[in-house]
Amino acid sequence: MALLCFTIQITHYLHKKHPPSPPPTRAIPSSSSLAAMPGGPAMDDANADHVVDRAASPLDSGEPLSKNALKKLEKMKKQAEVKEEARRKAEAEASARKPSAKVQAEHEEQEIDPTQYTRNRLQVLAEVKAKGINPYPHKFHTTMRLPEFVKTYSKLDAAQRLEDKIVSVAGRILSIRSSSTSLHFYDLHGDGVKIQVFAELRCSGLNETEYGKLHAGIKRGDIVGIEGFPGKSKTGELSIFPSSIEVLSYCLHMLPKGQASAANAAGKSQAWRPGVPRNLDRYILKDQETRYRQRYLDLMINPEVREVFSTRAQIIRYVRRFLDERGFLEVETPMMNMIPGGASARPFVTHHNELNMDLYMRIAPELFLKKLVVGGLDRVYEIGKQFRNEGLDLTHNPEFTMCEFYWAYADYNDLMKVTEELVSGMVKEITGGYKILCHSNGRDQPPIEIDFTPPFRRIPMIEGLEETSNGQIKLPNDLESEETNKYLQDACERFDVKCPPPHTTSRLLDKLVGHFVEETCVNPAFIMHHPKIMSPLAKWHRSIPGITERFELFVNKHEVCNAYTELNDPVIQRERFADQVKDKEKGNDEAMQIDETFCTALEYGLPPTAGWGMGIDRLTMMLTDSQNIKEVLLFPAMKPNEDIVVTSAKPLVTAG
Amino acid sequence: MNVVGPLKPHLHFIPFQVAPASCNRFISEKEEASASSSRSSSQGGGRRRLPKGSSDGSSTDGTSSREDIRTLRIKKVEDMRTGGYEPYGYTWERTDTAQELQSKYVDLASATEANEEKDHVSVAGRIMARRVFGKLAFLTLRDDSGPIQLYCEKARIKDAAFDQLKTSLDVGDFVGAKGTIKRTEKGELSVLVEELAILTKSLLPLPDKWHGLTDIEKRYRQRYVDMIMNPDVAEVFRSRARITSEIRRHMDNLGFLEIETPVLQGEAGGADARPFVTHHNALDRNLYLRIATELHLKRMVVGGFERVYEIGRIFRNEGISTRHNPEFTSIELYQAYADYRDMMNLVEDLVTRCSLAVNGSLCLQYQETEISLERPWRRASMHSLVAEVTGIDFATFGSDIVAAKAATLEYFKGQIERHDTAAIHKSPSIGHLLNEVFEMVVEKTLIQPTFVMDYPVEISPLAKPHRSQAGLVERFELFVYGREMANAFSELTDPIEQRARFEAQVQVHNATMQAAAEMAKLKGDTAVVTAAKDAYEVGMDEDFITALEYGMPPTAGMGIGIDRLVMLLTNSPSIRDVIAFPVLKSQ
Repeated sequence: MALLCFTIQITHYLHKKHPPSPPPTRAIPSSSSLAAMPGGPAMDDANADHVVDRAASPLDSGEPLSKNALKKLEKMKKQAEVKEEARRKAEAEASARKPSAKVQAEHEEQEIDPTQYTRNRLQVLAEVKAKGINPYPHKFHTTMRLPEFVKTYSKLDAAQRLEDKIVSVAGRILSIRSSSTSLHFYDLHGDGVKIQVFAELRCSGLNETEYGKLHAGIKRGDIVGIEGFPGKSKTGELSIFPSSIEVLSYCLHMLPKGQASAANAAGKSQAWRPGVPRNLDRYILKDQETRYRQRYLDLMINPEVREVFSTRAQIIRYVRRFLDERGFLEVETPMMNMIPGGASARPFVTHHNELNMDLYMRIAPELFLKKLVVGGLDRVYEIGKQFRNEGLDLTHNPEFTMCEFYWAYADYNDLMKVTEELVSGMVKEITGGYKILCHSNGRDQPPIEIDFTPPFRRIPMIEGLEETSNGQIKLPNDLESEETNKYLQDACERFDVKCPPPHTTSRLLDKLVGHFVEETCVNPAFIMHHPKIMSPLAKWHRSIPGITERFELFVNKHEVCNAYTELNDPVIQRERFADQVKDKEKGNDEAMQIDETFCTALEYGLPPTAGWGMGIDRLTMMLTDSQNIKEVLLFPAMKPNEDIVVTSAKPLVTAG
Repeated sequence: MNVVGPLKPHLHFIPFQVAPASCNRFISEKEEASASSSRSSSQGGGRRRLPKGSSDGSSTDGTSSREDIRTLRIKKVEDMRTGGYEPYGYTWERTDTAQELQSKYVDLASATEANEEKDHVSVAGRIMARRVFGKLAFLTLRDDSGPIQLYCEKARIKDAAFDQLKTSLDVGDFVGAKGTIKRTEKGELSVLVEELAILTKSLLPLPDKWHGLTDIEKRYRQRYVDMIMNPDVAEVFRSRARITSEIRRHMDNLGFLEIETPVLQGEAGGADARPFVTHHNALDRNLYLRIATELHLKRMVVGGFERVYEIGRIFRNEGISTRHNPEFTSIELYQAYADYRDMMNLVEDLVTRCSLAVNGSLCLQYQETEISLERPWRRASMHSLVAEVTGIDFATFGSDIVAAKAATLEYFKGQIERHDTAAIHKSPSIGHLLNEVFEMVVEKTLIQPTFVMDYPVEISPLAKPHRSQAGLVERFELFVYGREMANAFSELTDPIEQRARFEAQVQVHNATMQAAAEMAKLKGDTAVVTAAKDAYEVGMDEDFITALEYGMPPTAGMGIGIDRLVMLLTNSPSIRDVIAFPVLKSQ
């Protein structure tokens, strides 16, 4: 096989031609650049090769040739006569070096072990380079991207061919079917769509041998540039009928095999869309570790994955547009802070060498954004990464993306309205309706429906807890008392709700609410009116004592938004921080620290402001039927795994 | 920065070497400018600066210390609450911003009122000035959009709000006001107030404007005070948002998909810079903060996203200056089937669009210098630019580094410091030497937009070899005002060559580290010792090479420093002027 490929690469590599444009420098090297290349003369060999083919049957292809192209042909033909001899010689030499290559070539791809496969391909590559040819071209000019090709030509009739319409496209070959020695079919994938390559000897401008060599050298996974005309096969398959094929980049590894039912990219109706369940069991590449660690492979092989990430981009675009339209200004606040603030979480610590100063990765942008509202920016937002030094699980990654916005002169009532508008509007725009399906109860259970039709249910937290526990929980009035704390500890024990220490009232309550109330929130619901002790940055309720003007939006039992009327009384803010410090002393290392600079900012006056945060990852999970956050992160954090076998065996590919 | 020796950072965003003296000069010029602009603006009706101990009715703030004022105002808060009034309001329904009113009523004549149904308006904002005369008071309210006057007559104001105004309202408080419209005899558009409410009681007095602006540190440390006192500051951040928004819109229109790649990485690659290190507790593993987004974005091109970009934060563990903040924002974009020439057209397009969006013009005034962004921009090779200035054609040396160094030293004879001579001596290759000379003599001359093309391969480990010139790569950097604005290449897609380049990079780096360590041992010089201690390892991203082995299409990529672009387009001398909360030395 190595031998076969060796000559073939040369052939098809130089097969690039764009009749109307001047020939690429690479095809006809100037004498100076030729001299610069150790294998310069080999280039001419290759040209010769090319020319011989073309000259032998220039009209076979039926392709009209421009004046320039004809001139080029003439010139090459002359060179060819001189160089043909040399080419044969080189081929013979190569063949002598690799006597076993022919035998190998007869093996089907799948019968070769992956290591041998890579070795063979490296061999091919090395030989091409030894010839002084660059196997990685600098540029391939495409006249259209594949989606445009599909859009423009999908209406053609079966067997219709637009022979006078020359286009160039490029993409990755993911499936190869040869029908005879003069007919080859490929699936060319690019930008989420697929077309067929209908390669015929007749149109190739090559003689039979060269045609055969060219196609034997194209392997699954190779990136190719194709020039040809559009049309449809007799069975109605949208195709490009190539007049030339050029390998632009080699896939050195054997790709995972299998027929994906989801890969019917041409049959658009079957393609996955947001809001509809996914079936991961039908993926060609199923192994989770490989999918997450080598996302590029996942994207290449499992076409749905691409749609998941474009859904993610759509979600972010929607949020951005929504806020821009309402006069919010997008800003950037620091990701490295002197004091981590704005949330209760364990931060990452890093060190600035030159300033000799420890810095914390932000756990929330809240305090900085509020400082900007103090500074006079009435409506600000930031979409960005937050970092929390916590373990990895199905809903947690150490870095995640959040949108926060702050809105002067508004309160939590306004926020609930806007949240309904934003979330339901987004679901409608992205999925086409308010109802989505997802496998919330596990992949082995039927998917459930989530209905985003506004308005969303509103559940006051304490009443909700009493109600969902069927009256078995009845909290004392003073939520900050020792009595309440004791009551909650008992309640947790009574209902077997686990709460790791420290047993602060806030943590106990959170666990119970999680157990009773959140469990009822499959369709979007606002859990609101959190007690003050749970919400150190939220403003006390204007009429109900002990609680705050805060809400969290739960969908599919997960928190998606957290929002409140902002606490802007600096004196009370300091008191709340002091309470947090007491919590910290009790052993809650996630409690907040006092941020003096923030308190000072409040002393300059923060107008009445409503603030809101939404987790982009969690929302994306819902709209893409993902039960694991790693499904919606391109490069999720993974446990280091020394045993992991990356498909490339290190010693195989070495420099030099 | 490259304390370890002569190896120059050669990827995105080469730090500028600027003498501290000149930084200071920039800052003080800015101070001057800001101070004078606020002086003149204070003569306009809106932003009136109150002289100390002026007609500020309550005058409690007048001569007291900051701490006294704070105590007094806390007392006011308590009194208001005792009186049944909550001084930290919950919400305010506003109908118009100040600017909206100013334009709506631009034709309203002086000394006239507009009090039909539609003229009942509601505004909210911070009180920037307060003058009380018996039963009449004038307040200047400023919101996000600008200032407007509140005309308060005791007789017309509901409830006891006028008394509250006299006893409790201070400059700096937020108020909401409802009423009709009046233009005063002096021509000042005003809201003729019927309802007035204190929405937020401020506890600290706003600084005296002149004093506040001279304290440069405080401007950055308390950005919000800076923004309150000087509305132009907020304008920079508005421009910044417009610039990123314009970039996003254009990229989206071209079919690029915005994606997010990780900040925390097992290996910091894609550039040559000292990374920040942190530790993940649960995994008990050190992680690096990304120094570039390049390697992950390219993996996505391998994965089949033909056009991707990311606008995001990059982190480099280096000193702070007027051009460096440890975290900064870049856009990196990758386009399959394109080359570096396509990137030149793209960046011309992007930057001119941004300039038009922010300034409405392609002619910029940056720090006294006129810069024209009219296309096309100059394109010249690094070799030719160096030859133009020095007369030395480095191409003639082949690989004869001795001759090259000799010629370079000859050129610089008597002109440069010993430090720079050392850098020349230490250059490990012709490519490094060429780049050294380029940075020393050419960079600062590139004031108008210039594409510096075709870099030496030695300093460009991720770029594709030039298609026709040996020893060079298809790479350019865009320079404006002597600063690097963008860096782009036809991407190296050959995994075998990529590995070799990485190995060479590691080798040079290790040699440098070792040299620094030996020097430290030899001389015991503290600076060198620190340098050696701080030297950082350069790792090899094996998985990236594996990704290339799966085949990456011919691709062009580019990185643009957003902060520097915003500096240029908003005429800001320091990076700290365009970053809301820059990193500062701890106090």
